Amino acid sequence: MDEHAMDVDTAETLAGVVRLTRQAAVLAWAAADRARAGSSGQLFALGVDLAADQARHLVPDGTEIDGPVPVCDEPAGLLRSAELLLRRLAPLAASDAVDDLRATVADLVWEANTGVSG
Amino acid sequence: MSAGEGRTVAELLDDSDGLAREALLDMSADRALGMVRGWPQLMQSAAELWAILPPGPTVSPNGDPIAILAAMGRAVDRSVAAGHWPGRGPRNEAWEQIASNFEQAKRLLQRQVRSEAPDGRIGLTTAKTQILHALYVAAHATTVALGGYDRGLQDRLEVGARRRQPLVERPTALEVESVGGMIARFDAIEQLAAGSLAARRINAADQPATGRRRPTMRLEAALAAWEIHAYRTLANQPEPADLVRVSRVQALIATTTTVVCEAAARRDEIDAGVIKRLTPALEQAQLAWSRSARRWAELTTPASRTDQALVEAAGHLRAAVRGAVANQSGWATPDQIAGRIDLPATVMTLHRSLLASVELANITREIAADHPGLAAPARVIAMRAQGEAEVAIEQGETRFEGVRWVTPHQIAANQVIPLPEPARRGLVNAATDVAAATNQAVAAAAHVRPIEQSPRAGADGARRGGRAATEREISVRHPNSGGRPR
Repeated sequence: MDEHAMDVDTAETLAGVVRLTRQAAVLAWAAADRARAGSSGQLFALGVDLAADQARHLVPDGTEIDGPVPVCDEPAGLLRSAELLLRRLAPLAASDAVDDLRATVADLVWEANTGVSG
Repeated sequence: MSAGEGRTVAELLDDSDGLAREALLDMSADRALGMVRGWPQLMQSAAELWAILPPGPTVSPNGDPIAILAAMGRAVDRSVAAGHWPGRGPRNEAWEQIASNFEQAKRLLQRQVRSEAPDGRIGLTTAKTQILHALYVAAHATTVALGGYDRGLQDRLEVGARRRQPLVERPTALEVESVGGMIARFDAIEQLAAGSLAARRINAADQPATGRRRPTMRLEAALAAWEIHAYRTLANQPEPADLVRVSRVQALIATTTTVVCEAAARRDEIDAGVIKRLTPALEQAQLAWSRSARRWAELTTPASRTDQALVEAAGHLRAAVRGAVANQSGWATPDQIAGRIDLPATVMTLHRSLLASVELANITREIAADHPGLAAPARVIAMRAQGEAEVAIEQGETRFEGVRWVTPHQIAANQVIPLPEPARRGLVNAATDVAAATNQAVAAAAHVRPIEQSPRAGADGARRGGRAATEREISVRHPNSGGRPR
């Protein structure tokens, strides 16, 4: 995706995806760290973290990433919200990178709902 | 191979091996400093020679052991150049001669390739084994010399304390700690070379990638690619976000190693007794990496970005780990894992990865100690610096008394500012814990090997962990004679 050509709405939506996935990662890591050593939750938490990294790379420089921390106490809910944002975005800013991110987040929602998150 | 500058490629490689063996026989500990300083050049020339040799039929570039060894060599180089022990100074002459031999061999081979000499490729497959063997012996000799140097320091400390010598005449705690850290690094380099050499002998990588071999190779390639990207990122002005990612992935690798080793033990493919010692050590390593990740995470800001190549490498590794050892409900059962991957081969791959993690732990500690670009939000710095300063003051450190680390304006704006010394201490301590826990895991993993390999002296029989360099004996045999590496 050409970050420079991105309109403000798209950039802000992606920044919202970054906030949601980062908060989901914080919760996922907290759960993994609370569990005993060797928790399989690490695998899920790392996946969420990487999705947040992936989203961050799509946001153009200069876009305000900081914002209110999304309120939700489980990663699955935050990831579902991120996926919805990305679905809304995709027809407008159809790019391979956004499609990849949406697929990644959808996989993570599935993982969260099927218990892989430990 | 044709003659060039008086000697053939085979003669140059034989000579290199001989020089490494002679260095091993010369037990003077004083050479340790020059050996450490000379290692990066030796390793670089080996990597350049390796690069012009034909690749194996199925080995991916990322799975090439020399790439990881070269990255470890560059890490030692950066460490020495940055002023860490032993600092700049004369290099070991034997290491310089081996490096020169490798460079000459590379020139000869390049000429042969250009002239399309019919015998240009004769013996080149054994050339890689010879290079690895020379590196292995040279790394071992360096570890042994460092062990001797360490004992000398301990003796001087003891004598100094007994005779109440002035402190300036005694070795410093920093020097003792630095030598210990360097021993651990060369221990890891040596074991990695030994493992790679053994793998070439077993020739598993030349088998076609079918069935369980395919996910095994996928995991192997993903681990190797991850290690290379981790080294590269950490060498190139890393951000705290990169350190978080490295720490989290290293924690996952430690856990994956536990899962695979336990599965292998349940299936009687490795010694169950070893696992009893290894599992707690790996758990400690995982927890230490996780604590380190949390400390680094405090320094990130909303604008932080993780290096993109690192993110991709972590993604590939996560996918490979999931495919190998996870299912919908968490970790797969031993039987499921055994059905997916070649357990003994994966155990050895993860063991090699554990060795690389020692180096990453040490690099992390160096970054925490003196990377000039480290910065963090003022509020976090204020909190951490104050806490660490209070601990230091309680321990008798007077420099921090009455110092204000952050201005009210910086706190109000939560400005990103350079990390002051006390704030680094917590990171250094966390990284030191990681290095210690990883070393323990490596030591506990030293005797992990597939059961069918255990009775013989071992294709990698010299693999040992921790600081046991002084106990080592390596038989002097030719690399191609089929015994242990040396």
